[in-house]
Amino acid sequence: MLVTWKYRPRNTFIQRLDPRTRLIFMLCIIFAFTIPEIWDYRIILPLFALSLTLYLMARIEWKDVRRAWIYIFILVFFIVGLNGLLSGRGGPSSVTNLPSPVVFEVPIKIPFTEIGWDVPVTVSKIWFALNQMTRMITMAILAIPIPYTMDPNIYGTAFKRMGASDKVSFTMDLAFRFLPTFARDFTITMDAQRARGYEMEKLKGGIPTRIRKLAPLIIPVVMQSTVTGEEVIDAMDLRAFGTRQRTWVKDNLKYAPRDYLILGIGVAAFVSCCVLKWVFGIGEYFVPDFFMSLFV
Amino acid sequence: MPNQPLIIENLTFKYRTRPELALENISLKVNPGELLLIAGSSGCGKTTLARCINGLIPRSYRGERSGQVLLHGREVADMQISEIAQVVGTLLQDPERQIVASNVFNEIAFGPENLGLPRAEIINRVDQAISRLNLEYLRERETFNLSGGEKQKVALAGVLTMNPSILMLDEPLASLDPASAHEALEVFRSLADEGKTVILVEHRVEDAIDARPDRLLYMEDGKIKYLGPIRDLPPEIDHTKVKLPAPWVVQRVKALDKVPAATPKPEAGERGEPLVVFENVDFRYDEEYPLVLQNVNLKIYPGDLIAVLGPNGAGKSTLVKHAIGLLKPTRGRVLVEGEDTRKMSVAQIARTLGYVFQSPTHMLYAPTVREELEFGPKNLEFDPASIPQYVNESLLTVNLKGLDEYPPLGLSFGQQKRTTIAAVLAMRSKILIMDEPTAGQDFANYTRFMKALCDTSDNAQSILTANFAATIFITHDLDLAVTYANRVLLFGDKHIIADGKPQDVLKDDQLLRKYRVRPTSLLRLNLDLLPRTGRFLPAESLAAFA
Amino acid sequence: MNDNSTWAFGTRQVVYGAIGAALYGVLSWVTNIFPLPAAGNITFRPAVAVLIFFSVAYGPWVGLLAGFIGNTLGDALSGWGFYWNWSLGNGLMGLVAGLVMSQITDFRAQGQIIKAVIYGLIGIAVGMLFASLTEMFTGGIDFNTALFGYFTPAFLGNAIVTIVLLPILMVAFAAVASRRGR
Ligand SMILES: Nc1ncnc2c1ncn2[C@@H]1O[C@H](COP(=O)(O)OP(=O)(O)OP(=O)(O)O)[C@@H](O)[C@H]1O
Ligand SMILES: Nc1ncnc2c1ncn2[C@@H]1O[C@H](COP(=O)(O)OP(=O)(O)OP(=O)(O)O)[C@@H](O)[C@H]1O
Ligand SMILES: [Mg+2]
Ligand SMILES: [Mg+2]
Repeated sequence: MLVTWKYRPRNTFIQRLDPRTRLIFMLCIIFAFTIPEIWDYRIILPLFALSLTLYLMARIEWKDVRRAWIYIFILVFFIVGLNGLLSGRGGPSSVTNLPSPVVFEVPIKIPFTEIGWDVPVTVSKIWFALNQMTRMITMAILAIPIPYTMDPNIYGTAFKRMGASDKVSFTMDLAFRFLPTFARDFTITMDAQRARGYEMEKLKGGIPTRIRKLAPLIIPVVMQSTVTGEEVIDAMDLRAFGTRQRTWVKDNLKYAPRDYLILGIGVAAFVSCCVLKWVFGIGEYFVPDFFMSLFV
Repeated sequence: MPNQPLIIENLTFKYRTRPELALENISLKVNPGELLLIAGSSGCGKTTLARCINGLIPRSYRGERSGQVLLHGREVADMQISEIAQVVGTLLQDPERQIVASNVFNEIAFGPENLGLPRAEIINRVDQAISRLNLEYLRERETFNLSGGEKQKVALAGVLTMNPSILMLDEPLASLDPASAHEALEVFRSLADEGKTVILVEHRVEDAIDARPDRLLYMEDGKIKYLGPIRDLPPEIDHTKVKLPAPWVVQRVKALDKVPAATPKPEAGERGEPLVVFENVDFRYDEEYPLVLQNVNLKIYPGDLIAVLGPNGAGKSTLVKHAIGLLKPTRGRVLVEGEDTRKMSVAQIARTLGYVFQSPTHMLYAPTVREELEFGPKNLEFDPASIPQYVNESLLTVNLKGLDEYPPLGLSFGQQKRTTIAAVLAMRSKILIMDEPTAGQDFANYTRFMKALCDTSDNAQSILTANFAATIFITHDLDLAVTYANRVLLFGDKHIIADGKPQDVLKDDQLLRKYRVRPTSLLRLNLDLLPRTGRFLPAESLAAFA
Repeated sequence: MNDNSTWAFGTRQVVYGAIGAALYGVLSWVTNIFPLPAAGNITFRPAVAVLIFFSVAYGPWVGLLAGFIGNTLGDALSGWGFYWNWSLGNGLMGLVAGLVMSQITDFRAQGQIIKAVIYGLIGIAVGMLFASLTEMFTGGIDFNTALFGYFTPAFLGNAIVTIVLLPILMVAFAAVASRRGR
């Protein structure tokens, strides 16, 4: 198994953007939803459209992201489903307990027991579920293309230029440097133990026993890495790391007009969500009439 | 003279965690433009001395230091690390662990970046280092994918950008194929010719001679035993501790009048059924990657002692991994005792074939050596009553008796390596495969265990006669092939270039050079004496004929 | 430069923060591919024990960086995107567990191992509680779901892994450390 960081240069608008722009824009959208707690579909939908547009503009191949999408859908269904089952007081989704017509009931039974109950699915719950999905996907799809479209060599510089310290920014770069190395070490260890007759597929016993039997895979990799660390510290000290303010040679990041455009949109989205919610009280959850009329 | 780059006076050092002195009373003066070779067996204090020179001692390693280390007249302990870094450039043993950036350009620029130099100046220095070492073709590459030799050169470039006047090179040749090692030595020589002081740590004196060192510093137990021109090497410098050129060894042995009897090696030949068969094997790691093996045919017979030679990245490890079923051929098949590896699990094959991986740290995990050795036999579901016997026998053969209750992770590198070999021996396989068994070991140590594993004289209770039907080792050390193998495979260009007796394969100088193997003095001497000896012998035994 | 005190932040912390992050990222990614035995909706992530180990051995900053960056890398490698609250939760987990660092002088001593495990469990509780509760705002779940659907399984899964593997890692490290002795 080789960790191939899936980055590839493509000639797209998205890749011409400054990496900082993309990170900041992503945070703007996430915070626009989560800080003022927006649940109004009239705000969610336009932002969803915006995210989806940027996602499509990144032009990543479907086969690269298929797995990611499957995961996201499972996650979303899981969350939405669980929410329906366990919903009680507190938190945003308690709004779904508002009196609202019941569409159908789902009988739930805990396997091997007699315990069970009927979960009423109301119009309000269905609409909330739709809202929830759209909102989560809007936030997720901004991050999915990043590994494919952002040069891993530029993260450190990007963080540095966003105000992080030399040391924290370089930690990021160093982590990228070691990622493929450790993936390879892990593979070699797995091969070496298999050559000694270790078969992961045949782990037997209770859960603690099975976890303990992972030790032959995990310990060599971790211990090797702690030894490597000491030498890397020497190597960095010997080249004067941390003795004064660093220069970042690849520091040629510059905002272009297109960056200001995207940043403007991101900041505007965040600010207007705050203003709408806190000044005008718009953004709360409600079931629109047209949806209600579908069922009543 | 203030401009003397390095003066060491009465230097003594003891690590906080060790009772004994690591360095004792070292005094030394090195001149500009001098190339100083430091040799000595493992644990004699070479790396500790290097740490005293580059300031890691007393800065990062705690202990008691006395005496003086002066860089251009200034005491190291009083200098800022950023100042030292611009005087002493250090290249560590394992370039894999010295490289801190994902990409070559960033790696070379790392030092000047830390000094906070202006961008233009940094780029200028990087360009200079790149053209100095002819690395233009690597400039845009990822460091992860570089070969060992390329990594070493990039790490050196990263050191040169600091413009140091002293270069401190701690065993820089360990994982390189002979041709790459030679190229690296040429570079070190030319840096010395340009006026830099070069300090090269290497216990294989034979190889390091290529760099034409001005003086040799020989250490034992933290003390200087000899310092002077390399030609006048006094006889007390032990040829079993450091690797000396073969003619010198012969002289010494003759002078000491202790010529050992030559031990016969069994002849390789097509005896009985082959144990492993490769039939027209092609292999690639991924559909998008090129072939690594192409049309490989090979038969391994009982009695074979095979050395596999070839350049870095040729596919030697890939080849032997097929034998144990870790990799399955893309086309063709591999048979182990007549069965296709595709139809067997690795665990099944492990009963026939034991594989010792290159680095011991990749497999050691258990709290005691004994448990480490029991791991394989238990996985293979051996009879629990017989496991202790297997374990004890293996401990005995690699000379680890007494360490059985010790944690393997707390052992020295050489002991760890022997533990991994013992762990494989305890599985009682018929064939032993070792990937670069001598890398990172000192000369005395590896001679000892290679003898134990491959020596087949009648009285030696060797492992081979006890357990193994055949042994295969991959190596960059041509002398191992000369000394211990009865069959040599030269691997290159995706297939086996030559396969035969050592004296047949290794006599073709041109072929060897083409596949980056450099003839050594031992090989030359053996070829010269072949009419009289009839077979290849270790240097000591040649004394009887020369 | 090689300061070992709890809140020092130098080359040492940068290097082990990065190494911890890369390992945590790789190992979480591996277990994403080969999921381990699960009971109910508890999935096991043995990598968590590695994160806690790095925190215990190298302190809170290393724990924070390794947890935050490592989780982000693991998610990105799997192609899942960026879940800032889980990354932050993992960071907190490492940070809190790392507070025990100055009290661990002998990685083999039973009393100290127990102490490390307890700090690890507190770290897991704090980190997972943070991530689960913030999920109320990002995922729009309610308090019960956060507590029973998220926090409980995540806490239990991570706790079991840590209780089983952390002592083994610490004992192994004692042997390695005896050889280096800085
Ligand atoms: N960090 C350390 N802490 C404690 N003792 C150490 C440390 N490093 C080395 N030593 C001890 O100091 C002595 C000299 O070791 P050093 O590494 O200098 O030897 P060396 O000549 O470089 O050996 P090798 O050829 O194996 O690299 C050895 O006994 C070693 O165990
Ligand atoms: N897991 C892998 N995935 C993809 N390519 C690989 C993998 N392992 C090795 N390779 C490539 O296959 C080729 C042969 O590698 P191999 O390790 O067999 O060489 P080698 O002859 O053992 O070299 P060395 O002397 O440096 O150990 C190299 O080009 C290497 O980059
Ligand atoms: Mg050394
Ligand atoms: Mg190899």
